[in-house]
Amino acid sequence: MKSFEYLKRRFKEYYKDNKEKIPLVSLFDQREFGFIPWDQQIRMIRHMGFATRDNLIKHLINNGPRHVYSSGSLYLNPENKDMKNKSYLGCDIIIDIDVDHFYTPCKEDHDIWYCKECGKNGKGMVEKCPNCKKSKLKKLNWICEKCLNVAKKEIIKLIYDFLIPDFNIDIEKMKIAFSGHRGYHLKIEDNDLRTLSSDERREIIDYITGEGISYEILGLRKMGDNIFGFSRETIGWSQKINRKIEEILKKTNIEIETLLSDKRTFNLNKNFIENLLNYKNNFLNIIESDNMNNWTLVNSNLNTWYKFLGAIVEEIGIEVDVPVAIDIHRLIRYPGSLHGKTGFKVQELNPNDLDDFNPLDEQTEKLDPIVFVSKVQTIQKLEIIESDVPATKIKGETFGPYKLGDKIEIPHHIAVFLLCKGVAKSI
Amino acid sequence: MSDIYDLVKRYPWLPSLKTYYSDIALKNPLDFISEIFSSNKSEELESRVLNLFNDAFNKIEHLSEYELDEINIYVYLILRILLYIINDKILSNRIANIYSKTTYNELNKENEYNLYYIYQDLNLKVIYEEQPFVYKKFVVKEQKEIFKTNFKISFLDYLKLASNLKDEYRKLVNNALLQGYVYIKPENINRLLQEHVRKKLLIQNNEVSSDFEKFKERLFEIHEFKKLYTTITKIWESKKEEFEYSIDITFKEGKDYSGILPPCIKEILSKAQEGQNLVHTERLFILWFLNSLKYPEDKIINVFSTLPDFDREKTAYQVKYAMKKGYTPYSCKSLKSYNLCFANEYKDPICLEGYYSRMQDEQKFISHPLKYIEVKEYRDSKKLKKTKNQSQDQK
Ligand code: SF4
Ligand SMILES: [Zn+2]
Ligand SMILES: [Zn+2]
Repeated sequence: MKSFEYLKRRFKEYYKDNKEKIPLVSLFDQREFGFIPWDQQIRMIRHMGFATRDNLIKHLINNGPRHVYSSGSLYLNPENKDMKNKSYLGCDIIIDIDVDHFYTPCKEDHDIWYCKECGKNGKGMVEKCPNCKKSKLKKLNWICEKCLNVAKKEIIKLIYDFLIPDFNIDIEKMKIAFSGHRGYHLKIEDNDLRTLSSDERREIIDYITGEGISYEILGLRKMGDNIFGFSRETIGWSQKINRKIEEILKKTNIEIETLLSDKRTFNLNKNFIENLLNYKNNFLNIIESDNMNNWTLVNSNLNTWYKFLGAIVEEIGIEVDVPVAIDIHRLIRYPGSLHGKTGFKVQELNPNDLDDFNPLDEQTEKLDPIVFVSKVQTIQKLEIIESDVPATKIKGETFGPYKLGDKIEIPHHIAVFLLCKGVAKSI
Repeated sequence: MSDIYDLVKRYPWLPSLKTYYSDIALKNPLDFISEIFSSNKSEELESRVLNLFNDAFNKIEHLSEYELDEINIYVYLILRILLYIINDKILSNRIANIYSKTTYNELNKENEYNLYYIYQDLNLKVIYEEQPFVYKKFVVKEQKEIFKTNFKISFLDYLKLASNLKDEYRKLVNNALLQGYVYIKPENINRLLQEHVRKKLLIQNNEVSSDFEKFKERLFEIHEFKKLYTTITKIWESKKEEFEYSIDITFKEGKDYSGILPPCIKEILSKAQEGQNLVHTERLFILWFLNSLKYPEDKIINVFSTLPDFDREKTAYQVKYAMKKGYTPYSCKSLKSYNLCFANEYKDPICLEGYYSRMQDEQKFISHPLKYIEVKEYRDSKKLKKTKNQSQDQK
């Protein structure tokens, strides 16, 4: 395909022009590399190893791959195809947060699905067709500042609510990167943590997501008609839950009502919410006290509490891509490489950069993932080949939405983005 | 404080064994065995090892003798070799369970200084704080239950010891994690060490290689060892059956239910028999299931008695509680979601193909393991009738 050839050329140029800027990951020669080339059929070339960064850069300049990955794992022989002979040495902890895996309201504006079975289409996040209930869906997922912000907040929560206070992980050992598309990943490079097995990693991830939590073990009790909640002094998750409840109770009644009746999250019934609001101040006192924890509300049974607490746990827990985190042979995007679905750079970040980082409109040049902005304003002509293309806001300017057959004139970086997304062709 | 020599005698699985008793620990197993059996300790050693196996065979839950002398070290080393050679999963689990449980009880008798040394010896990152730390508090009405401890263990070491236990109480998410450490009472660390010791005794020996056979042959050249081995395996042969059928499902006098259990139950029972750990949901399910079959209380408790962390009192309490509440066991749907359905693995026709309901004149699928029993029992009774009729015909 013509646009693949074009993109490949552009990618090669990028690697050539930026060869000094591609970072060197730690223990470089022990990592396995993987590439997805610009082919119609998606295939991954794995089990490659590079002795030096120069060799990798040469490979990138020569091939301009669509996607570039390296392993979180370390091997004695990374290029060996056989897992046994690869000689596994350990694996960084990798936590991937990707908007693909959780709901954000903006998806109703920009994620489009089309049912191949019955032809129905719509917007938002669906698993199967609401019409025919089949899951043969074609999806066009987009990005916007809002969902990328949600992902960023999750990463910040992960670091400051879990990794530092609970696990005491040195911030210096965390490597964060914007994935170049819909999320972020965080890598922990620590020799002790590298030895953890998949089961042991699962325990960390369960902690971070709140999976497998037992309210009884943390202290929830029903005695007669009374319900006794968690004590402030119990270390760990129950403290987090208490803090969250406190935070919610401090909102205005209207805010509380909206939050707790939200169908997608709490989805609590009117009765419970009303009782909670009536009892709000008492409840706040109890939560803030060391010696009281009678959480009994009128008409609240244990099941309502489970539901309420379940939603609280969801709020506190981090939206993590679990299989990535427990797989010790997974490859992740190489920092500084280009994401073939957007043409954006996989941008490494320091935890301190996170707050101000805005991938779609970044002010600090060296952190800017949008690399195809031309110095001289060049305009490119494309034709839209997808029936609906959502609006894209990049660098403060909005392009689209577009319809099939639209002929458009756009700046270079937007052209690369739309071509990578596969919704347009050059004319 | 005891000195480390003594601690190693009590706990021969401590890494320091290699430093303080290097003369024994670093020896080639063949040399070790031949020397020990020709020494004057031989008789005492044999009798202790035999007793230990007998305790296990007689389903005693704790070792009846556990002397804290040097011979205890030999017992441990010989035990590992014997289990490796005998290579029988049920027996190994049984021994590993009883031995490690005794270890747990012994550890709980130690003072905090000794415990601290033991943890250090195992290279665990455990910190002892002078001031006890409140990490959990339950307040129910006027009653307060406060959990304090002087010990904390790094979450990494905690995970290495606990992640294989798959028990709700030990999940990190339900524990007091703060600044990289889990606040924990020493008896809970000891419980983790019990598992550690248990695993040390279970040296997996999946393939019987020629090396293994050669090793065995050489060992058998040591007459006393062969005698000990033969004695143990003989008793085991006669007891084995008892173990395999130790869980009888006859809940109505004289009736044998073992043939009509669904795969999901069979799987858990066989795991229990092998002395493997059961996860929380497996325990609840088997408990509620047997209970709804009106299975007698003491027999239910016995089902759990082979588990590594069995505690008769606690189990009795839980069983009583469940019986009082009369919970319904999980449905097939829930079991499937917990990955506890074994219909495919057992290729069970009733589970896979369902049954024909005459009443509704249609094919129906099993939706509940209790339904399985009903269907299976009905089918078996029909089969029985048929064969009876056939034999009458032949007359
Ligand atoms: S189908 Fe039901 S009864 Fe059969 S094994 Fe699965 S869970 Fe048990
Ligand atoms: Zn459809
Ligand atoms: Zn969005």
